[in-house]
Amino acid sequence: MLDIIVNPFITVLLFLYDMLGGNVVLAIVVFTVLVRLATYPLTLKQQRSTKAMQALQPELKKIQEKYKNDREKAAQAQWELYRQYGFNPMASCLPLLVQLPIMIGLYRAIVATLAATPLELLDLSQRLWVSDLSNLVPLENQFLWLNLAVPDPLYVLPILVVITTWLQQKLIMPPAPKSSGGDKAADQTAAITRQMTTIMPLMFGVFAISFASGLSIYFIASNLIGIVQYGLTGRIDFRRLLGREPEDAPETMVVAGKAKHSQVIEETAALEKPKRTTEPTLKPKRSGISDTRAQRTKAKSKAKG
Amino acid sequence: MKMLHMFRGPRITIGVLLLLAVVLTACGGPSSASWSGLASDDANLIYVAHGDRVVAVNPLSGATRWEYPNEDDRDAQFYAVPLVADGTLFIGDYKGRMHAVNAETGAPQWLYEPEKDTLIGPISLTSDDRVISGAAVSDDKVFFGLGSRNVVAVSRESAAEIWTFETEHGVWAQPLYVPADQAIDQQATLYIVSLDHRLYAIDPESGDQLWRMNLGGAAPGAPVYDQERGRLYIGTFVSEMLAIDLAQRQIVDRYATENWVWGSPVLENVDDGDDMLYFGDLEGYLYALRLTDNGFESEWKQAVANDAIRATPLLTNGLVIVGSKDHHVYAVSKESGATEWEQQTEGEVLTELVFVPREEDDDEASGLAVVGTSEGDERVIALNVESGDVSWRYSD
Repeated sequence: MLDIIVNPFITVLLFLYDMLGGNVVLAIVVFTVLVRLATYPLTLKQQRSTKAMQALQPELKKIQEKYKNDREKAAQAQWELYRQYGFNPMASCLPLLVQLPIMIGLYRAIVATLAATPLELLDLSQRLWVSDLSNLVPLENQFLWLNLAVPDPLYVLPILVVITTWLQQKLIMPPAPKSSGGDKAADQTAAITRQMTTIMPLMFGVFAISFASGLSIYFIASNLIGIVQYGLTGRIDFRRLLGREPEDAPETMVVAGKAKHSQVIEETAALEKPKRTTEPTLKPKRSGISDTRAQRTKAKSKAKG
Repeated sequence: MKMLHMFRGPRITIGVLLLLAVVLTACGGPSSASWSGLASDDANLIYVAHGDRVVAVNPLSGATRWEYPNEDDRDAQFYAVPLVADGTLFIGDYKGRMHAVNAETGAPQWLYEPEKDTLIGPISLTSDDRVISGAAVSDDKVFFGLGSRNVVAVSRESAAEIWTFETEHGVWAQPLYVPADQAIDQQATLYIVSLDHRLYAIDPESGDQLWRMNLGGAAPGAPVYDQERGRLYIGTFVSEMLAIDLAQRQIVDRYATENWVWGSPVLENVDDGDDMLYFGDLEGYLYALRLTDNGFESEWKQAVANDAIRATPLLTNGLVIVGSKDHHVYAVSKESGATEWEQQTEGEVLTELVFVPREEDDDEASGLAVVGTSEGDERVIALNVESGDVSWRYSD
C-alpha cells in the first residue's frame, strides 16, 4: 500500500540525483529537506497541539485525582475540559498519522534506491515510473570513505545519528511536568521522557550500524532539519542541553483543593511566555460561543454597542 | 517522536517504540538478499547456494549429498552461482571471500579472504564486500567480481591474490574468460561487464586493461561469446540487447526490449541455418533473435509471463524454458514461442535453470529442468521437460 508513496518518491529522488550531478548524498539531503518542508504545516500543527495538551495537564491531573474511582466521570470531565478550552485531542494525532506514512515512505524510497542486493535492484526495476531513469540505475554509492549501500565501517555516521537524535530529543521533546508532591503519574511521565531521550538515540544508532549508510545520511539530515524547523518557531531553548529546566516547564498541581480550576489555569498561563502570536493560548470559551476571531470581534462590538 | 509525549502510559510509549523499531527494521530490505545460485556438474550433482550454506543434491532424486560449510562454520551468506571445474567447486560469499570445495565430497580446499586495512582494533577502513557474481577460471586463476566494485584474480592452487582490477561500480555478472585458442586475436582475454555501464577487456595474466567501452546502461548478466562472429551479446538495464564486435571494439547492433534484460542470452548454433539468440526481460517477454550478417532479426517475441523473467532461458528438446517472478515455469516452442506447458511453483522463480538428462539413455526428451524458487519448502524443484510435471522437490 505504501507503494503509492514510495514509487513517486523514488522517481523524484532519481531526478534529484540526476540534477545534482550524480551525488547521492546531496540527493538524499535535498529530498529530505523538500519532504520536511512539505510536511512542515503538519509538524507545526502537531507541535502546537502537543503544547496545548501540555498546558492542560494540571487540569487533567486534578480531574484524575477527583474521579480516581470513577473512570466514566473522569472521561466526561476530561471531555468537558477539552470542550471548554476548544481543544481537540485528536488534533495532535492527525498530523502524526499523515506524517508517519510519508516519513516511512521516504525511508523506504532511500532503501530501494540504494539497492545494495540483487533482490532490491530487481524490486527497484518495477518501481520506476519513468523508463528514461533506468540509465541512472544503480546509483553511484561511493562517497568519501563510504559505500552508501552498506553500513559505515568507521562508525562515524552511527555516532552522528546518535548525537543528532539526542539533540533533537533534548531540544524538541516537551519538558516533563515537574512533580511537586510525589505525584506518581508525573514521576512516571518524567521517567518516560528521560528514557525516550536515551532509548531513541541508541535505537537509531543501532539502525545506523546495521543498515546502509545512506540511511544514516537520511537520519542525520532529518534530525537537523527537525531542529531547525523547531528553532524557527522561536521555542528552542539550548539550556535543555545542559539539563537545566526551561522556563515553560509546567508544574503539576497535585495538592487537591488548594487551587481552584481558574487559578490553576492562570498559573499555567503565567508560566507560558508567548513568543509568537501563533502560540496556543488557553482561555476558556464562553459558553455556547465558538472561539473564532470573527465571533469574538462580533461579541466585542455587541458588548460595546 | 516528540508527539509520543502525549501518551501517558509507559506501556503505550514502549509499544510505540517497539512498533517503530519493527516498522523500520522491516523496511530494511528483503530478509533474503538474493535468489539461490544454482549449477550442475555435468548432471552428476546439482549445487544450490542459498543463505548460510551450499548444498549438493542428487539430480535424479533430490537427496542431499553434502553441505558446506560445516554447521559450526556457517558465518556467511552464499547466493552466487557456483562454478565447478575439474572436480572443484568455486563459490564466493557475502563477506567478499572465495571458497574452493571438493565438488564430490564438499571438503574445503582453500579459502581466499581479502585483506582489510584496520584502523583501530576491529574498526576497518573498508566494509565487507559481497561476491554476487559467479566465478570464471583459467588454467591457473580464478576470477570473480565484487558487489560494490572491482574484479579479483586469485591463484587456483593456493588462493593467493594475483591482481585486482578497479571498476567504478559493482560487478555482478560472471566474468567471461576466453582462452587464446578461442579468441579472435589469439590473445586470452577476460571480459567483465559492470554496473558502471562498461565492458572491460582485461589481460588475465596481469590484470591490465586492454580496452573498454560504454554500454549505455548497467549490465548485470554475463556476456555470451559468439566465436564464429567474434561478438559478445550483452543485455542491459536500458532495455537493450547489444551485439559487440570484438575486432572493431564497438556496438554493431542493438535490439530494444520492453524492460531491463538481466539474464544472459542463450546462443543456439544451428547447423543448417542462422544461429539464434533467446532471452527474456523483466516485463515477462521472451525473445528469439536470428543472427544474420545484417545483425539481429526478430524471429518472434512473446509475452510469456506476467512478471519478470530474470534468468537465462534453458534450451532443450525444442523448447525454451524460463522461470518467472510470477511463480511459474514456462516452456514455449523454440519455433513459434507458443506456450507448450506451464507449471506453478510456490515461490518466485529467479534462479538459473539446469538441465539434467535421464541417466538411463541420456535421451534429451526425458530429462529434467531443475530450478530454484524463493520458498524454503520448494527451494529446488525438478520438472519433466516434456510435460512440466514435478519429479522431485528439495526443501531447506
